[in-house]
Amino acid sequence: MAHLEEALAEKPAILNEIAPADLPRVPLVANNRSFAWITEKVCGIAEGRTPVWWWWCFGVACFVASFTVCGLIYLVSTGVGVWGHRSPINWGWPIVNFVFWIGIGHAGTLISAILCLLRQKWRTSINRAAEAMTIFAVVCAGIFPVFHVGRVWYAWFLFPLPNSNWIWPQFRSPLEWDVFAVSTYGTVSVLFWYTGMIPDLATLRDRAKVKWRQIFYGVLAMGWRNSSRHWSNYEMAYLILAGIATPLVLSVHTIVSFDFAVSLIPGWHTTIFPPYFVAGAIFSGFGMVLTLMLPLRAVYKLEDLITQYHIDCMCKITLATGSMVGYAYMMEFFIAWYGANPNEGFTFINRAFGPYAWAYWIMISCNVITPQLFWFKKVRHNIPLVWILSLFVNVGMWFERFVIICTSLTRDFLPSSWGYISPTITDIFTFFGTFGVFSVLFLLFIRFLPIMPMAELKAVTPQADPHAGHGEHH
Amino acid sequence: MKRKPVAPPAPNERELTGPRYWRSLDELADTPGFREHVEREFPEGASTLEGVDRRQFFKLMAASFALGGLGLAGCRRPESYILPYSKSVEGLVPGLPLYFATAFPLRKTALPLLAETHQGRPTKLEGNPSYQPYGGASSLMAQASVLELYDPDRATTHTKNGSALDAAGLNDLLASVGKKHAADGGAGLAFLAAESSSPTRARLVARLRQKFPKAIWSEYEPVQDEPPLEAALTAFGAPVRPVYRFFNAKRIVSLDCDFLAAEAGNLLYSREFARLRRVRSKSDEMNRLYVAESGFTLTGSMADHRLRLASSHIFALAAALAARITGDQSYAKYAQGLEVDPKWLDACAADLLAHKSESLVVAGAHQPAAVHILAYAINDALGNIGETLDFLIIKPPPVASIGDLAAAIKAGTVKTLLVLDGNPAYNAPADLDFPALLKSVPEVIRYGYYVDETSQLAGAHIAAAHYLESWGDARTINGTVLPIQPMILPLFGGVTEIEVLARIAGEEAVDPYALVFATVTQLAGEPDAQAAFAKFLHDGFLHDSDFEKIPVELDRVRAERLFAAMSAPVALSKGNLEVRFAADYKVDDGRFINNGWLQECPDPITRLTWDNAILISPRLAKELGVDPPSLVVKVARRELADFQKGRENAFVGEVTIGARTVRGPLQIQPGLSNYTIVLPLGYGRADGAVGRVGTGSGFNAYAVRTVEAPHFVTGATLTVVAGARALLANTQEHWSMEGRDLIREANLEEYRQHPDFVRAIGLEAHSPPIYGEEGAKLSPAERATEGPAVRGNSLYVTPTFKGPQQWGMSIDLNVCTGCNACVVACQAENNIPIVGKDQVSRGREMHWIRIDRYYSSGSTDNNDIPEDPQASVQPLPCMQCELAPCEMVCPVNATVHDDDGLNAMAYNRCIGTRYCANNCPYKVRRFNYFDWNKRSIGHFYEGPLGPDGMPELVKMAKNPDVTVRMRGVMEKCTYCVQRIEAAKIQHKVKAAQAGNPADIIVPDGAIRTACQQACPVEAIIFGDILDPNTAVSKLKAQERDYGLLAYLNTRPRTTYLGKIRNPNPAMPDYAALPLSRVELRNKMGPAEEGEGNREPTTSGDHAALPSAAKLGGLS
Repeated sequence: MAHLEEALAEKPAILNEIAPADLPRVPLVANNRSFAWITEKVCGIAEGRTPVWWWWCFGVACFVASFTVCGLIYLVSTGVGVWGHRSPINWGWPIVNFVFWIGIGHAGTLISAILCLLRQKWRTSINRAAEAMTIFAVVCAGIFPVFHVGRVWYAWFLFPLPNSNWIWPQFRSPLEWDVFAVSTYGTVSVLFWYTGMIPDLATLRDRAKVKWRQIFYGVLAMGWRNSSRHWSNYEMAYLILAGIATPLVLSVHTIVSFDFAVSLIPGWHTTIFPPYFVAGAIFSGFGMVLTLMLPLRAVYKLEDLITQYHIDCMCKITLATGSMVGYAYMMEFFIAWYGANPNEGFTFINRAFGPYAWAYWIMISCNVITPQLFWFKKVRHNIPLVWILSLFVNVGMWFERFVIICTSLTRDFLPSSWGYISPTITDIFTFFGTFGVFSVLFLLFIRFLPIMPMAELKAVTPQADPHAGHGEHH
Repeated sequence: MKRKPVAPPAPNERELTGPRYWRSLDELADTPGFREHVEREFPEGASTLEGVDRRQFFKLMAASFALGGLGLAGCRRPESYILPYSKSVEGLVPGLPLYFATAFPLRKTALPLLAETHQGRPTKLEGNPSYQPYGGASSLMAQASVLELYDPDRATTHTKNGSALDAAGLNDLLASVGKKHAADGGAGLAFLAAESSSPTRARLVARLRQKFPKAIWSEYEPVQDEPPLEAALTAFGAPVRPVYRFFNAKRIVSLDCDFLAAEAGNLLYSREFARLRRVRSKSDEMNRLYVAESGFTLTGSMADHRLRLASSHIFALAAALAARITGDQSYAKYAQGLEVDPKWLDACAADLLAHKSESLVVAGAHQPAAVHILAYAINDALGNIGETLDFLIIKPPPVASIGDLAAAIKAGTVKTLLVLDGNPAYNAPADLDFPALLKSVPEVIRYGYYVDETSQLAGAHIAAAHYLESWGDARTINGTVLPIQPMILPLFGGVTEIEVLARIAGEEAVDPYALVFATVTQLAGEPDAQAAFAKFLHDGFLHDSDFEKIPVELDRVRAERLFAAMSAPVALSKGNLEVRFAADYKVDDGRFINNGWLQECPDPITRLTWDNAILISPRLAKELGVDPPSLVVKVARRELADFQKGRENAFVGEVTIGARTVRGPLQIQPGLSNYTIVLPLGYGRADGAVGRVGTGSGFNAYAVRTVEAPHFVTGATLTVVAGARALLANTQEHWSMEGRDLIREANLEEYRQHPDFVRAIGLEAHSPPIYGEEGAKLSPAERATEGPAVRGNSLYVTPTFKGPQQWGMSIDLNVCTGCNACVVACQAENNIPIVGKDQVSRGREMHWIRIDRYYSSGSTDNNDIPEDPQASVQPLPCMQCELAPCEMVCPVNATVHDDDGLNAMAYNRCIGTRYCANNCPYKVRRFNYFDWNKRSIGHFYEGPLGPDGMPELVKMAKNPDVTVRMRGVMEKCTYCVQRIEAAKIQHKVKAAQAGNPADIIVPDGAIRTACQQACPVEAIIFGDILDPNTAVSKLKAQERDYGLLAYLNTRPRTTYLGKIRNPNPAMPDYAALPLSRVELRNKMGPAEEGEGNREPTTSGDHAALPSAAKLGGLS
């Protein structure tokens, strides 16, 4: 070995001549933090005293979540009519909200699975929270398609259960595909999230001083003993799950987009929807990750773990997917014109200039114009601005779904049936309440579970590198 | 469907009553005290208990039972009672409906009907097909009238001075009226009745006159639907009724006459008009309709040439036309001041003269007698009398007017006034101040169906029986006598008008059955009275009972006097408006205001429900500054109203005529004469004087109507109420077809050149053939059953239709007038709920068939609201697509195809994702957003905390063959699958009995859907498309047959026959292409027409058609 080192130590003469600039890799954990520091930092969040702000946030979140609960009780007891749907527009806010939430649920698994497979190590500090976000978003998303049906107590008809009448679900219906796609996605996301958490749960178990914590984390850690065999099995399981989850990231929103693309309503019936929806979902997912992680980073002082580099990466993905979405918007117009179907052409002109023009232009400004600011380093480095822009992305993506669903349905083939949908107070409150549901779950998550994968973080620190300290010489 | 008449042996008394038992010696002795005891269900005074009325009592009882049930319901079954027939109704098979002939009386005419009854309760009314002139058609109002029977808000007790009156008390009251006035010959007695065609009533009125020679018999109807008798008396000196024979009329001029919807006999006229409108081949004749009118009526919407002209100018127009037709220039002086293009008149007159004895000029019933006389003169000159116009002698008894009665009341001579039906306190001319007059009469007895404004001012109220609970008779427009048979015992002990009159007259026979029997058998003149009467009831009309046709001769001298009294046309302007009072298309003069089916049925022209509105022309709207706000960028034609969040937010205006003012929402109506405003009558009832359905609906236009000008008046002003807005429930927000190919129209010449013009219009003309190259050559029958090869090689497995019969429908757009009868017939047949104004304004109406009405102006300027549009209507039931977009998207398989090609709906399986409704391009699926049947209108948002909806009584109107849907499920037209199945069963039974069980093909015509059955013009034809000889197959084989949005490859089983217009090229407003086609060309470019899949043999030379640029708009 020594011989080799010596040989390598000898710099080629040419290097002295051209004097290459020193381009160190940006460390994924800043300030050369030790393993112990990382453990203390992440476990400390779950183990420390419950902060006062947490209680305040939790209280407010519960209150907001009660809006959804009350809205749904009212809905089920009274009828779907309490929402603003009407004859030509039989899907309104609930389906908009469903697609919105399910879109948000995309970033988590994308970060965990696809970036894992692509060996993007910067994913480590954000993947746990992003996965949690995914699951909670899927929970919020799941509320809407279930409760928007007229007779929710028969929603189990959607499942292919054997029955004496020999009636099966309609397997040609995209809604039926949705049932499988979303439930599979939810299940795999939970498994993936949980599997990734096992070593960290064991750490928490080992550090726990109170009985209930020992039992709670002990059960969740499933007897993890940190043995090499465990690590070997764990890593293989994680890799396989990443492999399973990767196509799901693409399939779920593709299938959600089929709800529209498979129908024949102008403005829905387009082949561009699957890629466009997936891009949009990743776009909105990253918007939401930024919206959540930036405050978390500030509150728990996680700047060393979620570095500027991470934020840059997320901004760039947002920029890329935002541009894809913008391209899709243009392409829809082009095809509507090029296809020369007058109904199709009308729908798109109507989208941009008709009664819902306001929604369309909100969508365009939030989804196409906003992310373009991320071209600028100054913008990406201005954390409050990034956070505000991420909010715009979220708003824009809600409006995208609104525009697709509502403008297409309000003015379709027969002008005699044209209408206009506006939400009722129940629509608005039920949707608003889901942010409460989401927040409640997310607050519980940051309070009780390791919000970052400690084991993986340690693996990407400079100390974990066997060549630590030598890197700069190469 | 009807039973053959069997003259039953007269039952003896014992058979009728069974063995006789008596409960007490009182009963055996039949003492008056015992009778009273039996009559009274409860002890005297029980029903007038202070503070608790009947309804409230039941509510309380229901609540206590429910509470009791909470604790105990688990322990035992709910108790229920059945009342088995101890003697079954003749011919009754449990589960099968029975049909009885009856008639729907309205003013001076009636419609022959068959009532469908289930276990003794009528649920559906249908036209009586045995009566040839009406051919089984029925009207919107007749269809809806069954709901009135079960109206929980109808008068349920007879009252006197606020306390209930039992049957005996009522008889005493009526007898006392007669006795009181017998001595003085009826000097203090007056009657105010509604018009009626009943021969029995006429007979009883004659008896009353004999007995009370000094009594006043007056009749009043707020709406005139027959030409004034004065016109006939002046012109011919004879009391004759003109009856139009449209089936001979090739050229028709309507002078403000809405003969297709508003005139008496409109059903007959619609049918006959349609006969020459129905074009089946190139060589077929087609009539041409010229309409001059101030409002926009259904007749106007069918016009080939429509002239917007104030009602007050119609006389001048008629005179100008008369001068041209008769050549008698003395008429011309009455036409001075008329502002109509002389070319219009010249061309119209020339067209009439070219069709002598096969043309017809008709004048609106509301027009003065002078206009009618001019119309008679024109028809006389054209030789139409006896050909297209008959005069029937009607021998009406002398009748006083409401004005005469008012004068007598003012003079104080009326001591007892009987108000028989009608509602004068509400609808009498405002200047009579009838409520005050009623108060000044010492004794007012009111006979009516509702406790309304008039009843509130009357000392006594007699609850009327519904016509479905009554024995009676009536006459059609031709005079044919029709029976009115009771289907059910009076639900609330109501009595009939003839019984009331008979009792007052002190007749021996007061039983309505006996009265009608006597009248009809006398009219029939048959030796065997019983058999004649049985046949009368069975057939549903009395043969050879028409009024007699007589020859007439016009008396110019007398007519001249009337002409001279007419004033010259006054120039109208914003400051001098003309007001036209018109009966509403749904609630008529207000009599149907409490009928939910009618209230919720969209007005055929304005598409409004639950309200009337002040209709104004687009120009007047612009001048008043109430045209809807203009968007900066317009992607579609500008709306007619200000729609905010999808709900019409109307401006509010005040119409002032003299010293009287009425306030109501303003509605822009294209096609109105510029300075005529239309006030639909019948709405705006006083609180507490109308039932729950009618409360708070519309404004009362009677408030500005006077004796002098009951139908139209000039000199009115309209001011806009600043800041006020009103919500209107409009079922169709957008009025333009937007240059789409939905209703495909052509002029008659184009049709003759290119009978397949529909196939050259629209997107299918460019898309690959929907059934593939092979399929395009096949008949509809083959297309329906052949495999996927002829189905454009679709990737999807298409259903194979294995049923022996494949159902389909054809709708002829050329004859459909948009009358809405099908809409309400469907509602009655299929238990379709009503949802109330609020929910309609939210777009949740439930009609399974709707009628889309579009205007076309030939312009594609999005900022333009047409002043003079062409209207087109399109009935839209479910298309029963062979490749139904709704089916493949339903995740639970709740909507599926059956073997006969029906797109079926399994309500039990539906969970209500509403995906099907989204994916339905025709938007014919309806969703139960709330429990419409279980909750009350106006309380839907209260959910289970709100009051329970439908009273038990209304449930009786439900068709037991059709499910009542709960909330959360989708529903839609099923081609009346219950009728199809019933007919199949019936046929199978019949075939099996005839020893031919293999015959399972239901013959053509045996199944009629509810919409088809009601349609007066036979625009809707249903049947088996596998058999090329059925009516529907023949229509589908027509070259005019097209599928709506067929390029979507939905393969609709319901298809349309394109609309044909027949304009006169000599007219100044001639448009060589229907205006909707001009719009289509402007929008899609001329390439949209002419190429595509048109057969090579007929692919036309479209250069012959003028291009859009060359077409002049209408004047």
